[in-house]
Amino acid sequence: MKIPYGWVRELVAVELSAAEAADRLINAGLEVAGVTPIAPGLRGVVVGEIEAVERELGESQGHRLALCRVTTGAGRYTVVCGAPNARPGLRAAFAPPGATLPGGPVTVARIRGVESEGMLCSELELGLGDEHEAGVLALDPDAPLGADLLRHLALDDAVLEIEITPNRPDCLSVLGVARELAALTGARLTPPAIALKEADEPAEALARVRVEAVDLCPRYTVRVVTGVTVGPSPAWMAARLRACGLRPISNVVDVTNYVMWEHGQPLHAFDAATVADRTIVVRRAGAGERLTTLDGQVRTLDPSMLLIADRTRPIGLAGVMGGASSEVTAGTTGVLLESAYFQAASVRRTSRALGLRTDAAYRFERGADIEGLADASARAAQLIAELAGGVVSRGVLDAYPAPRPPRRLPLRMARVRRVVGIAPPRDEARRILGGLGLPTRERGEDLEVEIPSFRRDLTLEDDLVEEIIRVWGYDRIPSVTSPSSVRLVTLPASVRQADAVRRALVGAGLVEVVTYSFTDPAHALALRSADDKEPIELVNPLSQEAALLSPHPLAGLLGAVATNLRRQQTAVRLFEIGKTYLRADEGPREPRWAAIALTGLRAEPAWYRPPEAADVYDAKGLAEHVLDALGVEGVPAPGRLAGFEPDAHGALALPDGVVLAEFGEVAADVRARFDIDAPVFAAVVALDAVAAAPARPARYEPLPRYPAVQRDLAFVLDDADLTAAQVQAAVRVAAGPLLRDLTVFDVFRLPDGRRSVAWRLTFQADDRTLTDDEVNATHARIVARVTADLRVTLRGA
Amino acid sequence: MGHPRVDAVAGEARAAIGRAASSADLEAVRVRYLGRQGTLTQILRTLGTLPAAERPAVGAAANEVKRELETLLERRLREVQAAERRRERAAARPDLTLPGRRPPRGAVHPLTRVSDEIAAIFGGLGFSVAEGPEIETDWYNFEALNIPPDHPARDMQDTFYLPGSLLLRTHTSPVQVRVMQTQRPPVRIIVPGRVYRRDIVDMTHSPIFHQVEGLAVDRDVSMADLKGTLELFARQMFGARSRIRFRPSFFPFTEPSAEVDVVCFRCGGDGCRVCKQSGWLEILGSGMVHPTVLRNVGYDPEEVTGWAFGMGIERIAMLRYGIDDIRLFFENDVRFLRQLA
Repeated sequence: MKIPYGWVRELVAVELSAAEAADRLINAGLEVAGVTPIAPGLRGVVVGEIEAVERELGESQGHRLALCRVTTGAGRYTVVCGAPNARPGLRAAFAPPGATLPGGPVTVARIRGVESEGMLCSELELGLGDEHEAGVLALDPDAPLGADLLRHLALDDAVLEIEITPNRPDCLSVLGVARELAALTGARLTPPAIALKEADEPAEALARVRVEAVDLCPRYTVRVVTGVTVGPSPAWMAARLRACGLRPISNVVDVTNYVMWEHGQPLHAFDAATVADRTIVVRRAGAGERLTTLDGQVRTLDPSMLLIADRTRPIGLAGVMGGASSEVTAGTTGVLLESAYFQAASVRRTSRALGLRTDAAYRFERGADIEGLADASARAAQLIAELAGGVVSRGVLDAYPAPRPPRRLPLRMARVRRVVGIAPPRDEARRILGGLGLPTRERGEDLEVEIPSFRRDLTLEDDLVEEIIRVWGYDRIPSVTSPSSVRLVTLPASVRQADAVRRALVGAGLVEVVTYSFTDPAHALALRSADDKEPIELVNPLSQEAALLSPHPLAGLLGAVATNLRRQQTAVRLFEIGKTYLRADEGPREPRWAAIALTGLRAEPAWYRPPEAADVYDAKGLAEHVLDALGVEGVPAPGRLAGFEPDAHGALALPDGVVLAEFGEVAADVRARFDIDAPVFAAVVALDAVAAAPARPARYEPLPRYPAVQRDLAFVLDDADLTAAQVQAAVRVAAGPLLRDLTVFDVFRLPDGRRSVAWRLTFQADDRTLTDDEVNATHARIVARVTADLRVTLRGA
Repeated sequence: MGHPRVDAVAGEARAAIGRAASSADLEAVRVRYLGRQGTLTQILRTLGTLPAAERPAVGAAANEVKRELETLLERRLREVQAAERRRERAAARPDLTLPGRRPPRGAVHPLTRVSDEIAAIFGGLGFSVAEGPEIETDWYNFEALNIPPDHPARDMQDTFYLPGSLLLRTHTSPVQVRVMQTQRPPVRIIVPGRVYRRDIVDMTHSPIFHQVEGLAVDRDVSMADLKGTLELFARQMFGARSRIRFRPSFFPFTEPSAEVDVVCFRCGGDGCRVCKQSGWLEILGSGMVHPTVLRNVGYDPEEVTGWAFGMGIERIAMLRYGIDDIRLFFENDVRFLRQLA
C-alpha cells in the first residue's frame, strides 16, 4: 500500500524524514518495502494557463496539433500541443524551456515550422500516472499562475510502500500508520477532523436497509447524499490518489477511495436512482445468481457469497466489488453511501472463489473496524458534499443489531518479564499502550487494557506483551543462555542411517544430488509396474510436468543424470537419499531410499588407468557397499521394481524374501523418456527395510592362529544357464568346514562362448597347521563332487 | 717383494679390478684370480711343489695378495653397485609433476552440508533431532499452529493440496506439534526437513525447499534465552564477530514474534550489494510459542513457555556460498556440486 508521507504528517506531528520514519516503523514490525519520491525527475514545471488556441497545424499520431498561447503570469509562450482537452482558460501543467521531465529536459523545438516554447504536459509525461490520451493535466481554475507544480500539488514528497503482516489491517491506512508513528515517537495524533453538515430531512425517509444475513454482515450503514454534481475531483485530491497508485475517476468515487486510504474502511457509493425502492437488502446469493460487477464481468454466484441487492436484483458483491448497474455516473444526483462490516472469512472465500482481489476485499478479509466505520462514513459524506456539492441527509441508517462491548484484557507485568526476560516499568508500559490507542487502568501491580475495535488482533495477554516490547524496542531484550539441565541429545536412527550411507557413497566417489519430489506423469508411467498403486496426484500442481508425487526412487535421479549428460559430463556417478510417496490403505506412506545412478565412465579419465565404462557390476557393487556400511547382508533374489532391463536386474534380499536393495541396467524405454542416450546403471537401497533387518553382530572373534593355505580352482561352465552363484554354492557344500573363504578372481569367455570362472579358495583350521595332503584331498573332493553334480569342466585339468 | 709370479698376478688383478665397470665384471675378475681355478688359488695350491725354504715367503706373499685383492674387490663392488643403482633409478625416475593416483572423491550436496552444520551446532547446545512426514493434515500444518481456515495468514504460505484433505507441509512446524503431543516438557529439538510452497520458480523461489526448525519448551524460557541461543548459533555459523538483531514481525504460531537479522558477513555491516546496502541479512523467523499452540498440544501456557525458530537452508547456503540462483541446488550439475564439496 502506497502512502504519501506528507499525508501521514498531516495527522501526526513528527519531525522525522520519510526515511527515518520508515526505519522506525520497520523496527516496530511494520514492513516498509520502499521510500520513493512521488515525482522523480520533475523540475521547473509550473501552473500555466492556455490563453488562446490559435490555429490547427495538422495531425500527428492521431492528435490534432494546435498552436496554443500559454501564460505563466511571468511570461508568455507559444506552444504546439496535441491535447484534446486544450481550450482557452484551462490552467494546466506547463513545462517551459529549461524545465525537466522524467523523459528529459524541455527545450525550444521546431514543430510543423513553428517554434514551440515548452510543453503542456499529460500525467504520463509528468511521471505521475498512466493517463495521456485525455490530454494535459488539468488544474483547478484558481490554481495560482506560475506556481511550482510540485509544491502546488504537494508532490515534493515521498511515498511509503507499506507491507503489512496479516494481523495489522489497521495499518492499511494513513491514520493507522500515523497512530503507529505517534506511539513510537510520543508525537501527538490528530485524526482527520469531521465537520459534517446534515440537512433536516432524515435519511430514513429516503432509503431503507435490511440485513438478512447478520452472520456475514454484523453491521451495515448507509448515508444518503442528494443533489450532487458528479465531475472531476479537484487537482489536489487527484494528485494524492495518483501518488497512492489509484486512478482518479470522479469526485464521488474518488472520495470513497480517499477515505478508504485515510481510515482503512472500504466504502461504496451507489447511484440512489438505480436502487429499486431505495431499499438495500444484504443477503446470500441464490445458487447460480448472476451479477455484472464494475469491471464489466458477469459473475455467477453461489449461496456462500454475500450480496448487496435491492428488492429486485443484486447491485453489488459485498466487500469485494460493486455492481455495474448501480455505478455512479456523470448523471448521478443521489448517492447511497455504504460503510459496513463484512465477515472476514466470507469475503476471503468469495474473493478467492471469483479470483477477484480488490483493495476492499484485501481489507475486509483482514478485518475492518466495526466501530470506526461510522467515522469513515461521516468523513466521506462530508467530502462528497464539499466536492460534489450535495446535501447530506440527517442521520445514518445503521443495521447493527448486536454491538460488541469493548473487550478488556488483564496484563500482568510479571508475565511480560517471564515471556520476554525483561520488562519496562509499568508506567512506561501504560504510556506505550496509550500511544497505540489502548486505554489502561491500574490493577494493583498490573494493568487492565481496553482493546479498541480497530485492534481485533489483540485477543490474549501475550499479544499485549508483544505490543509493549515492540514499541519499547526489541534491542532492549538481553541475550541470555539459561543453564539448562543436562539432557541426552539424540539423533533418530533414520538420520544416523542416512549419514552412514552418505559417508559410504561419498567415499566411493559419488556425488549427492537433491531433486524435486514432483514428477511428470509420463516419467511415472515409464517407471510403473502393473501392480503398483496409482501415484499421488497434486490437486493444484504448478504444471503438468510436476503433477505427481514421485512414486519411484529413480524418478528424480534420472533427471539429474540427463542434465549432466546434456552438459557433457563423462563420468556421472550420482546418489540421492530421499523418499517416495505411495498410496496405502492406512494413509500415504513415505518410504526412504538411497538411490544410485551411474553412466559413462567408471572414473574420470586419468593417465594411470584406461578409460572403462561403468557396468551393472558397479551398480551391484555399490548396493553391496551400502548394505555393508549399514551392517546387513543380502542374498541374491529377483528384482521387483519397474524400470530395469529384465535380463540385467537383480536384488539382494533377506532369507525371508524382504528386498534390501535392487540394482540393474535402466530399461531403454525409461531412458528414452528422460532423453538419455547412454546406458545407465542404477541401484536402490530400501532404507526402511534395512533398518528393520537384523544387523551383523558387533562381536569380536579371535583371529586365526594357524596359517591359511590357498588354492585356485577354475571351471568352464558348460551350461549357459548355470550361474556363478550355483557353482560357488556347490563348491562350499563339497569343501566342508576347512574352506574359510572363496572369491571369484577371474571371469572370461572362451572362443566357443562358454564362460570360465576362477575362484581362489582359502583353507584354514582353528587347531592345527593344515598339511598339503589334507588340502589336496579336499581340493580333489571339491572337483569330483562339483563336476559330478553340475555341467562344468575343470580347467587346466 | 715376495715372489715374482705372485707379484705379476697381483699387478694383473689390480688392473682388472680397476677396469671392471659392473658387478658382473667384478665377479669375473674374482673367479679368474680368486675362484677355485683362479690364478692366485692355483699358486697357493702349488706351494707344496716349491722348495721348503721358499714356501713360507711365497705363501705369506700369496696370502697377503689374496687379502688385498679381496678388499679391493669388495670396495670396487660397492662403488660399481652404487653406480648401477644410480643408473637404474635414473632410468626409472618418477616424474613427480604428474598428477597423483587419487582415490575417487565424491561430494555431499551443499544443502546437506549446511543442514548438518546447523544440526551440529544445535546438537552442541543440547538439541535433539526430530523428523516428521511431508504429507500432512490441515490440522497439523495449520490449525494446531493457530492458523484457522480462511485466515489471511494462509496467504503467507501458498499450499499444495493432495486428495483426501491432505497437503504437503508448508513448513517444518507440524513436527513441533507432533513432538509436543508425545513428549512432556522440557523439549529441545531441531527439525530439518523438506517443505513445499506453491511458488513459481525463479532465482529466489522454489516450490520445494528445506528448513530447519528449532523448539525449546521448559518452565522458564524467554525471548532473552531465544536471543542468547541464536547469538551463539550465529557466531558459530557466521563467524565469531557475528552479531544479530531482532525485529518485530508476525507469525500466527508465535507471540511475540521476531525476524532475526545477522550482520552482513560480506561487508561487516557497512552496506553492500549482498545486504542491499542495509548492513543486515534476514536469516530466520522466530518467537515465543503462541499460548494457543501450547494449549493445542495439551501444555499449560501458565506452566511452561517456549520459543521456536525456523530458517531456510537454501537461503543460508546461498548467503554462505554467494549463490544467487536457488535453482542451482536442484539442477544438480556435478560441476556445481563438486565446487562446494
